[in-house]
Amino acid sequence: MSSSPTDLLVDVTMPQMGVSVAEGTVVAWRVEPGDRIEAEATICEISTDKIDTEVPSPATGVVTEILVPIGETVEVGTVMARIATGANGVAPAPAGKAPQPLDGSTVGTPTTETSSSTSSAPAGNGHRRYSPVVQRIAAEHGIDLSQVPGTGRGGRVRKQDVLAFVEAAPVEEPPLHIESPYRPEPAASVAGGELSRMRRQIGEHMKRSLDTAATCTTWIEVDMSRVETARARLGVTALAFVARASIDAIREHPALNAWLEGEKYTCHTDVNLGIAVSLGDDGLIVPVIPRAHELSVEGLAARVKDIARRARGRELTPDDVRGGTFTITNPGQYGSIMATPIINQPQVAILDFEAVIKRPVVVTDADGNDSIAIRPMTILGLSWDHRALDGALSAQFLATIKRNLESVS
Amino acid sequence: MPTLTYLQAISSALRDELRADERVLLMGEDIGVFGGAFKVTDGFVEEFGIERVMDTPLAESGIIGTAVGAAVVGMRPVCEMQFSDFISCGFDQLVNVAGKMHYRQGLAVPITVRLPSGGGFSGGPFHSQNPEAWFMHSPGIKVVAPSTAEDAKGLLHAAIHDPNPVCYMEHKHLYRRVKGEVPSGVFETPFTARVARPGSDLVVIAYGAMVSVALEATEDLDGASVEVLDLRSLVPLDEEAILDSVERCSKVVIIDEANATCAAGAQVAALIAEKGFESLDGPVIRVATPDVPIPFSPPLEAAVLPGVDRVKEACRELLAY
Repeated sequence: MSSSPTDLLVDVTMPQMGVSVAEGTVVAWRVEPGDRIEAEATICEISTDKIDTEVPSPATGVVTEILVPIGETVEVGTVMARIATGANGVAPAPAGKAPQPLDGSTVGTPTTETSSSTSSAPAGNGHRRYSPVVQRIAAEHGIDLSQVPGTGRGGRVRKQDVLAFVEAAPVEEPPLHIESPYRPEPAASVAGGELSRMRRQIGEHMKRSLDTAATCTTWIEVDMSRVETARARLGVTALAFVARASIDAIREHPALNAWLEGEKYTCHTDVNLGIAVSLGDDGLIVPVIPRAHELSVEGLAARVKDIARRARGRELTPDDVRGGTFTITNPGQYGSIMATPIINQPQVAILDFEAVIKRPVVVTDADGNDSIAIRPMTILGLSWDHRALDGALSAQFLATIKRNLESVS
Repeated sequence: MPTLTYLQAISSALRDELRADERVLLMGEDIGVFGGAFKVTDGFVEEFGIERVMDTPLAESGIIGTAVGAAVVGMRPVCEMQFSDFISCGFDQLVNVAGKMHYRQGLAVPITVRLPSGGGFSGGPFHSQNPEAWFMHSPGIKVVAPSTAEDAKGLLHAAIHDPNPVCYMEHKHLYRRVKGEVPSGVFETPFTARVARPGSDLVVIAYGAMVSVALEATEDLDGASVEVLDLRSLVPLDEEAILDSVERCSKVVIIDEANATCAAGAQVAALIAEKGFESLDGPVIRVATPDVPIPFSPPLEAAVLPGVDRVKEACRELLAY
């Protein structure tokens, strides 16, 4: 592939994909030397330690060389390929077979598509010269300068000419119909058929709750430093501490430990604590720890472990899932931080405990001095039934749980 | 706002400074009793006395040297060179003493040297020069060149207030030809360029007397939209304004009344080549006086100085490029 003096070579460099990323690896080339490529079309795929991404071509032209083979890791800014954008940059690809990619492997099919479009470029424009501003504008807009009529001396393409060409560039014709005739392939169905009995039950229960309750959700942020220390010492989960803190908060705000059935509101003395347990693909079940208020943190931890094991082993009896007065759901092991749980009817509230994540927070010392500290934080969410109680109470309740958790010894 | 000539604006600035600041004093040949060769200081000696409007011997080196000393001890001297051409006799005091004082001894030298410059009146080789580039090439000296009455006053105030030596290029041809509204009292014109007329197809960059030539030559150029950028200050040079005009217009004509080689316009052209390359849609064209002394003969002088016709021709050529 020869390049004439009027060719302008544009470097394709390893892009900076993030502030801390210093290098990247070429995963695939979408072009071969000799291929024509449009500006912004994907020229290659790269992988950095953070993400995989496609690299857009910086210019329209013909790929003259590929300098970094697939699999090689290079520093940001390294020239990976070169594109000729000048008058000859639109010349047809050489008649012979284009050189193979450096690793000899076959790359994607788009190459054949893009190279075929080059044959429409007119020949014989090799002697035109373009001023810096004209070349820059052409590169910015991906314009083939050989197509631009010149009105300057001797047919020279002036800035005005290329700007007019940009203005007049045909805009894509809008479709006649808003709706595309395209219909996607029907999704491959792996497991079709009727919903399982459990899914139907969960669905009915959740929908009924939303239809019945006036569900609101309130969140509070909690510093879990003390809980983290204590749970490491006791070898139990943070959930046991949240359960204990909730039970203690219920002591102060018993209105949360209640049922609302139609017009009938019943406040309970015992805390029968429901714990939502995921059964994987099958669904979810909420076994109940009866008289949970009588249990210590260690006792709660043992009971949670026991009911979870039995739930997953399908060993629960109907009694194990009856009589709950308050429920905690704890899906945080996947890193999620907030949810709007649905109340387990006929209860009036459900507490959502998600992931504990270290965050920078402002802490104030005894003298009132502020500083920023790294603290394990979580967001507790309480969905509550506005028919039974109001936001102030739910906020007080959450604040009590927060106080309990932050004063764990 | 009163309407003043360029010359009256200079007088007004000097008078306001003398009234406002007792540190300001004027020095020059025949500026006192006679009122100056061009009558810029006419009547000054009556108001301010011979100690503040000092007639000096015909010795530019002495004028500038004395001014440097006065400035170092806290005065704000304004020296008048009767003709800018005569500055060569004071060159050492200005370039080697005043310009380098700050760098050598850390002392400020707030002097202003008024340089009546330029040709167009058959003044011949000793009374028609534009020596501004000599001082652009010499570190430590600022150089300004007003083209309007308002800037003549504002730049002179700014020059007198500036802590550095400032060469104030006042163009003799503009003295009584240029008029305009000028604010009263003390005000400063910044040492930056000014768009004298906005445009988009081509920019003519000029300063001093060449600004009006540029404006006249491009007033009606076959409908082209021609910008005129008045540099006003040569040191410091307003790079941002120059590059901004170049980016918008992409074609540039630079006019110098000075001899072409190493003139202010050459510096502007170099700047554009270096930092405005990707904005250019044609060669940077310079119109300047050829490297010859200014002739006495009126037809010959008209032939060497950049005039409206030469500027028009250059702009037409470049617009068609």
